[in-house]
Amino acid sequence: MRVFTDLMWFFKQEKKAYITGIILLLFVAVLQLVPPRIVGIFVDHIIGHTLTAETILFWIGVLAVCALAMYVLRYFWRIMIFGSSVKLARLLRNNLYHHFTKMSQAFYQKKRVGDLMAHATNDLSAIQQTAGAGVLTLVDSLATGGAVIIAMAATISWKLTLIALIPMPLMAILTSWYGTLLHKRFHKAQGAFSDLNDKTQESISGIKVIKTFGQEKEDIEDFRKQSEDVVNKNISVAKVDALFDPTISIIVGVSFFLSIAFGARFVLAGEITIGELVSFTTYLSLLVWPMLAFGWLFNIVERGRASYDRVRALLAEKVDIQEDADASSEVPSGNLLYQIDSFTYPGANVPVLKDIHFELKKGQTLGIVGKTGAGKTTLLKLLTREFEGEKSEILFNNLSIKKYKLDSLRAAIGYVPQEHFLFSTTVAQNIAFTSPKIDTERIYDAARISHIHEDILQFTDGYETVVGERGVSLSGGQKQRISIARALLMNHEVLVLDDSLSAVDAKTEEAILSSLKEERENKTTIITAHRLSAIQHADLIIVLDGGTIIQRGTHEELMEIEGWYKTMFLRQQLEELVEYGG
Amino acid sequence: MEKIPVLTGKEQRNILFRLLSYTKPHKKTIILAFLLLLATTAGDILGPILVSIFIDDYLRPQNLVAEPLIILGTAYLGLQVMNLIVSYFQLLKFQEIALKIIQQLRIDVFSKVQALGLKYFDKTPAGSIVSRVTNDTEAIKDMFVSVLVTFIQGGFLLVGIFIAMFILNVKLALICLIILPLIFMIMAAYRKYSSVFYQDLRERLSQLNAKLSESLQGMAIIQVFKQEKRMRDEFEEINEAHYKAGIRNIKIDGLLLRPAIDLVYALALIIVLSFFGFDSLNSPVEIGVIYAFVSYLDRFFEPVNNIMQRLSMYQQAIIAASRAFKLLDEDELAPDQSDNSSLQVTDGEIEFRNVSFSYDGKRDVLKNISFKAKPGETVALVGHTGSGKSSIINMMMRFYEFERGDILVDGQSIKHYGKEELRKKLGLVLQDPFLFYGTIKDNISLYNDGLSDEEIKKAAEFVQAHHFIQQLEDKYDHKVVERGSTFSSGQRQLIAFARTIASNPKVLVLDEATANIDTETEEAIQFALNKMRKGRTTIAIAHRLSTIQDAEQILVLHQGEIVERGNHQELLSQRGLYHKMYLLQNGSAEIVEDAVGT
Repeated sequence: MRVFTDLMWFFKQEKKAYITGIILLLFVAVLQLVPPRIVGIFVDHIIGHTLTAETILFWIGVLAVCALAMYVLRYFWRIMIFGSSVKLARLLRNNLYHHFTKMSQAFYQKKRVGDLMAHATNDLSAIQQTAGAGVLTLVDSLATGGAVIIAMAATISWKLTLIALIPMPLMAILTSWYGTLLHKRFHKAQGAFSDLNDKTQESISGIKVIKTFGQEKEDIEDFRKQSEDVVNKNISVAKVDALFDPTISIIVGVSFFLSIAFGARFVLAGEITIGELVSFTTYLSLLVWPMLAFGWLFNIVERGRASYDRVRALLAEKVDIQEDADASSEVPSGNLLYQIDSFTYPGANVPVLKDIHFELKKGQTLGIVGKTGAGKTTLLKLLTREFEGEKSEILFNNLSIKKYKLDSLRAAIGYVPQEHFLFSTTVAQNIAFTSPKIDTERIYDAARISHIHEDILQFTDGYETVVGERGVSLSGGQKQRISIARALLMNHEVLVLDDSLSAVDAKTEEAILSSLKEERENKTTIITAHRLSAIQHADLIIVLDGGTIIQRGTHEELMEIEGWYKTMFLRQQLEELVEYGG
Repeated sequence: MEKIPVLTGKEQRNILFRLLSYTKPHKKTIILAFLLLLATTAGDILGPILVSIFIDDYLRPQNLVAEPLIILGTAYLGLQVMNLIVSYFQLLKFQEIALKIIQQLRIDVFSKVQALGLKYFDKTPAGSIVSRVTNDTEAIKDMFVSVLVTFIQGGFLLVGIFIAMFILNVKLALICLIILPLIFMIMAAYRKYSSVFYQDLRERLSQLNAKLSESLQGMAIIQVFKQEKRMRDEFEEINEAHYKAGIRNIKIDGLLLRPAIDLVYALALIIVLSFFGFDSLNSPVEIGVIYAFVSYLDRFFEPVNNIMQRLSMYQQAIIAASRAFKLLDEDELAPDQSDNSSLQVTDGEIEFRNVSFSYDGKRDVLKNISFKAKPGETVALVGHTGSGKSSIINMMMRFYEFERGDILVDGQSIKHYGKEELRKKLGLVLQDPFLFYGTIKDNISLYNDGLSDEEIKKAAEFVQAHHFIQQLEDKYDHKVVERGSTFSSGQRQLIAFARTIASNPKVLVLDEATANIDTETEEAIQFALNKMRKGRTTIAIAHRLSTIQDAEQILVLHQGEIVERGNHQELLSQRGLYHKMYLLQNGSAEIVEDAVGT
């Protein structure tokens, strides 16, 4: 029940809704007692031959009013209590999203997107259940249960009430026990299901192998076996699940039997009337729900608590890249100076960058080359402060980048990442990502510079074509060029291309590079590449290997010396020849 | 994200009937389950009748004779106990049937997937196929387990209660019948509105999740372009819409679900009470019958509530079923083979005769390919990515159907061979040696129970994999997890080799791995490959030219055409494309410089 205390802040915040909801629930609990009572009164009148048309109409009237009142009250408490729980889910979801946008890449490196999604979906729905159905079951089972028992004891017979209640606690105990049992078995069944899912996934990925070896039948047989396992695990769930109804019905049955057997004696003894006995048995059936609900409540609350703890822990994760209190809000412009003694990723032991010192003048182009894993991308991520380290310093216009507000620093940088990620929206909106309301002419300009304009016009809906996960699929080269256009839109101080031309052909690459040169006069550009032609014209080229600089200079200088750069350059030229058929 | 299909009423009915046709093999169990259900329902109905007899015949006249009372009491308790047992088995049986039906459906869908051609896999994302096999069938399971079973059980109880009411008092029972159309009206209204609202809610939820998952994946971009605020606003907007949809659902549920049904209950109670009340003004009334009616009304509405709450599930299941059936009706089948052919591959001669092929029907990836591999010869295919090497293998392995030209095996069109025969005699070793979950033994034998442990071991010894397998824990029973990621890529290759050798093919089709393999295993692999090729016709895709220098024929492909052919020495002396490729792999810097210069 601790989760209710944990959620108290929310209950307080929504206290009007909750208090109203609870009061409405209490009214319903009391009103519920009326119909059985009226049945009893009717029976007694009939037995006593005291029934008149007026009495009938009067009580029918009361019944009708009660029923209508209950309908209205039930409708409103749902809105109050369930409505608030949906509100809680909305609030927490917004908070989580807000929090996610503040976390640095170090956070995303150690968490998997799937897990984060699970928190935002499954956990939130469990919490919503607790704040809605959980509160309802708690209040309702206590209120209805209490009201019914009091009504039975006070208006009919406390002795009979005690007798009739004897089997009831057993129901709460048994159903709660079944609940735990069910939960465990259900878990296993889910496991079996997810194994089956994996099996299917594997078969589909390996479909070629299966077809090659003519293993279709055998694989289907294997699938049959695994699905058999799913069936068996589910049957073991069903074995517990099927216990609920019969158990309830026998306990209620025994309770009925007791009340009628003993009730009959009380009737004979003149302690109660037959009508009261009929009311009594109807009351008993009202008790079934609160008893069940109690068993159920424990399961909801338990799940809700675990989920809430996880969400809270997630929200409590510290934002690790902080802004200085006196950070400058000026958008930097000027020379870039890298002074990295060493940099190690959080949680790793081996440094990925060592001893990297160089200066890039404003307006110059830097080319970074080297093998995969040499540290090229890391150099860029330090500049945008996706990561930061103690022994690494980058000065922008003679001031450490840590001394700028994050927003100002990033306003100076246009970034084209290696994994060209597009959002599920139109091409135009993807390019205009930084300023959705910008002139379409400027969007076209950016697209022209990155040589994607013509391609886009060919799409079915032109610039309004939806791309991304849910849209049309584009080639890698098209995606890359749209990412470039996105980064070009604002004509940032520094443009960073992280291996962003790998999927376009050599001709287009050259065209893009030369338009860039024209458009970005006096602006700094940093390019990492596998294909050396992309950085051939850079003012400074650095060759990274194992996280450190092994060669530096211009293309001409580097071609003079025997080394990685020259070897690689020649090889790539030959490769190109082969690619074009000699 | 997949579109949710819109189904007409007729389509929905057809889908339901098709689903129900799956119950046929379980006829016997179903009859048993229905009998049990009948017994349970009878038990439920009888209880109140016994009590009413007690009230009218004994309690009211104050005539408590021991003997009949004991009989009555025992009968009541006996009924309860019997009901406990029977209803337990009844509930269980229905669940069992539902689960078995789903298993069959699952197997059918999975088998269908296996029968589809690779073309289908090209155009359908793997995730959505998996979803058809598991998630959609799971949604159908929910329907069978909870919806249909609830409907049937609820229906039985309702009918039973009405029968009992008719026995007790025909007139009143007739009057009570008017609550049925009322309930149906509420149900129809709920179905109408909730299907719209509920669908809307699900739609919003999937938008919300899509937005969230996209944002999480693209967070680096969002941050670097400082769009956090805008994305937050957009997310909040979707969240708000989802909230509103949620509230709408709560409202519709509140208006038409349990509160509404409870209102109908009160109406029924008013009818029963007025009837007895006014009746009693003229003639005596049996109190027990009132009791029975009232307690029947109590029971009557529980199944109604259950059924209503599951209506939305029904909708989901029908949609899921329509997707699964669509896959079952898919006709993009694997290329056909004449299955009853008795042709056998004896020599292993392979000939391509003017084969042209296109995946999309527009652009040819293979143009007029002709070559011949005599029995025991090796033909190597080399060329740049996209030159058509893999397509040649795809044709040979019959992954795709070709229409232009022909492939001859021992002088006969490949299409005339039986599927089994081709599979047995053409052994493919893939670039990415895919290992399955299971043991090493399973992976070599691939569930082929005809292979003895000795044969498996021999195959492993032949490709020199035996040695490293011996050093594993549990040896041949070592568990392969996560597609064999615990093994080096070389070891995975060797296991894949053993797999091929175990099936002893006449023709080897090799798709050489591009991945870097450490020199030590590289040697082992080359050794094994050479051994495997002996006495077998081999068609090999080679990335490292050094491995195919002894090939009888090397075909150099460029954009779907054979541009150069000959053996290693002949091709080198041509100083063409092959020569350049060779230099790229083996040449020193100076030679490369020369080549680039020329």
